[in-house]
Amino acid sequence: MDASTAAKLAAGLGIGLAAIGPGIGIGYMTGRACEAIARQPEAVGDIRTTMIIGVALAEALTLYAFVIAILLFTA
Amino acid sequence: MAAETESKIAGALHELNVQTIVSIPKIGPFDFSITNAVVYMWASALIVLLFYIIVARRLKKEPGGAQTVAETALNFATGHLTGQFGEKGKKYYYLILTIFSYIFVMNLLGLIPKPEFLKPYTPTANINVTFGMAIVVFCVTQFQGFKRHGLGYVRSWLTPPGVPTALAIPLHFIFFVVHVMGEFFKPLSLAIRLYGNTIAGHLVILVMIGLVLQYQSFLIAIPPLLFVIIMTGFEVFVAFLQAYIFSLLSVIYIETAIYAGH
Repeated sequence: MDASTAAKLAAGLGIGLAAIGPGIGIGYMTGRACEAIARQPEAVGDIRTTMIIGVALAEALTLYAFVIAILLFTA
Repeated sequence: MAAETESKIAGALHELNVQTIVSIPKIGPFDFSITNAVVYMWASALIVLLFYIIVARRLKKEPGGAQTVAETALNFATGHLTGQFGEKGKKYYYLILTIFSYIFVMNLLGLIPKPEFLKPYTPTANINVTFGMAIVVFCVTQFQGFKRHGLGYVRSWLTPPGVPTALAIPLHFIFFVVHVMGEFFKPLSLAIRLYGNTIAGHLVILVMIGLVLQYQSFLIAIPPLLFVIIMTGFEVFVAFLQAYIFSLLSVIYIETAIYAGH
């Protein structure tokens, strides 16, 4: 396997592995937000805003890997 | 065959290529050439500017369509979005409104399919553009922190009060390094989030279109077509969501600097 093939393999594997953690995190967050909304429907606005901030922060981790994958893929 | 299909898929990806329109000689390491990215940024800025100017010029008691949109955006930006600023950060309401409208218009402009001769490009799918906006937020944050608290702003990065002195002195060092790194990672994550989301959405759509180009059969074309339609609708939602998240996180960062140490 030459260097360019290895880089492409690493890009594909890297983005897949990096999606696991934030996937679990976002699922957990959204599930808990649903529970909270079901328990207290009048607080839906605050809960949604907080959830979106958390989701955005978790999602950024995958996007770091995505940027690295693009760099590796074009290498 | 392989090389041919590759060139077709690469042709579908032309939307992500920066093409020079007016070439200007480099000044040192800086390239000031006018590219399609710059043209689309100017177009978005002009749309935002003209929209608000035109609406502000003809205000009516009974608002029409455009005025309703502008009033909703203004209420959204001064109420919900920047509510955490309070009185102290009042002058940044309009910075946040501008960032929000600008990102939203840039994202939407990139989603409209355009013919080849217009040299299509999405400005937010370029990390330089997103980093530019993130650096503005970073500068405002640090400026507010140092203006309002002076050196007390740096103190808010150190160990919180109440820790015994013997323990606090070694901890100061760790807290300081972590906080300084955190301050620099804030604009980095803002920029990469917007860039990554935009470019990922475009890449997914383009790869699906590339599938049609590669196999060139009606049977294969139907599922990607449906997927592209659904995905484009989702991208309109993402365009709004990313503009919202960028401005919301900017608000939170600036607000932490204004009320540092509380």
